[in-house]
Amino acid sequence: MSARLILKLEVVQADELGAGVRRLVLKHPRRPLLPSPEPGSHVDVHLGDGRVRQYSLCGDPADASCYSLAVKLEPQGRGGSRWVHEHLRPGAIAHVSAPRNHFRLAPQATRHVLVAAGIGVTPLLAMARHLLRAGAPVEMHYGAPGPEAAPFLPELEALLGERLQVWWSRAPSGRGRFDAEHVLARRDEGTHVYVCGPPGLLASVRAATASWASGRVHAESFVPLAPAGPAGPFELEIRSTGQRLSVPAERSALSVLREAGLIVASACEIGVCGACERPVAAGTVLHRDVVLDEAGRARAMMTCVSRGQGRVVLDL
Amino acid sequence: MPSASPRPEADAPAWRGTLLHIHIAPAASYEMEELTEARLVAGRGIEGDRYFLGKGTYSNLPAVREVTLIESEVLEALARNDPPLQSAPVELAPHEHRRNLTVRGVPLGHLVGRRFRVGETVLRGARINFPCKYLEQLLDRPLYLPLYNRAGLNCAIETGGVIRPGDAIEAL
Repeated sequence: MSARLILKLEVVQADELGAGVRRLVLKHPRRPLLPSPEPGSHVDVHLGDGRVRQYSLCGDPADASCYSLAVKLEPQGRGGSRWVHEHLRPGAIAHVSAPRNHFRLAPQATRHVLVAAGIGVTPLLAMARHLLRAGAPVEMHYGAPGPEAAPFLPELEALLGERLQVWWSRAPSGRGRFDAEHVLARRDEGTHVYVCGPPGLLASVRAATASWASGRVHAESFVPLAPAGPAGPFELEIRSTGQRLSVPAERSALSVLREAGLIVASACEIGVCGACERPVAAGTVLHRDVVLDEAGRARAMMTCVSRGQGRVVLDL
Repeated sequence: MPSASPRPEADAPAWRGTLLHIHIAPAASYEMEELTEARLVAGRGIEGDRYFLGKGTYSNLPAVREVTLIESEVLEALARNDPPLQSAPVELAPHEHRRNLTVRGVPLGHLVGRRFRVGETVLRGARINFPCKYLEQLLDRPLYLPLYNRAGLNCAIETGGVIRPGDAIEAL
């Protein structure tokens, strides 16, 4: 996984969008342009205490003069959103990485279906702007308890018009909870689906598309996956040197590699950012990240959360 | 007529170079920031730089990296794709290459193991910097091959002091 440049950007605008969501607009204090984002990109925000959090860019990906991101205050969360809401006010300097993209639009798609819930709308908003400009066929489904809990609703309505379908689960005006089976009943070859929201939404989309050809459902999730079964000990072997390292049940491969002096970059340490990816030469990996796709899983592992069965040989 | 010198280096033309830019970064991966003056501390590095602070990507490695230099002539060669290793020229701006000092008219390859003056400070050339995939990833640009053998010079600081762009650079 690639290293990303970290930039000190100025918060030039902060807007409360309701439902605890704050939109931040960031600019470089001295340079007119930032590293170009793609539709679906996210950035790492380095909090003052060494923690790192990922946020999708929700602005126009064609505009490299600023980055826009939206952060929902999660009082019960791990503290990242609280830090952002407390510290990132207009005039503040935010330490932000250049964008990465794990949530790419499929260039071969002939129809794009965007499915968002709540604050999960952010990467899809950037995608919608891009697809509309490109004249690509797109429709969007946006779910929330009601319009008051749906950030960016006015922007999406203006952008998409009738191509936006809202699903309010608790408002009398809505058509109820998002119905994946109904919406995704049509499965022509060129349709690709992009989902961002809580795990339940992703599960319903996966279930509705179970019979589709693989690679046509794309998901972004910044909520770590629940561990797949209890963690057991395993062994790592470094291919170039033959060195063997024991990874006890209570420790990560990442921490064992670091202790052995093997430098491994990392950021989120919950399997969502991709910074600590290392190539795998042999062995059975129990993947617990949300970054690697099937092809990626065949050749690499995220050392922060994924584990092995028996011995895993790292191609280092 | 004087006879031919037995030592070819005695005939090498004298050079006198100039310091063009000073850049530091507060920690690994952080964007470089340009300074109008900098304080060099003997045996440590540039005040405020990641290697001075022990927060660089290679801080835990034994190599000398108190201050790093690169030739502006190398950046110009990349910009005209010379030698033509890439399909197109590669732009590498002084704030991007992650060396501390961008210099002009200084044959860095001659300074391995030698002492030289930058303004009021004295540096000692350690080894020619090896290009890294890390920089290539950081900038999303092909740089590894084009920088091969000319990625700059890592130096130790023998005599500290304050340097500024425009300072003269001379061999000792």
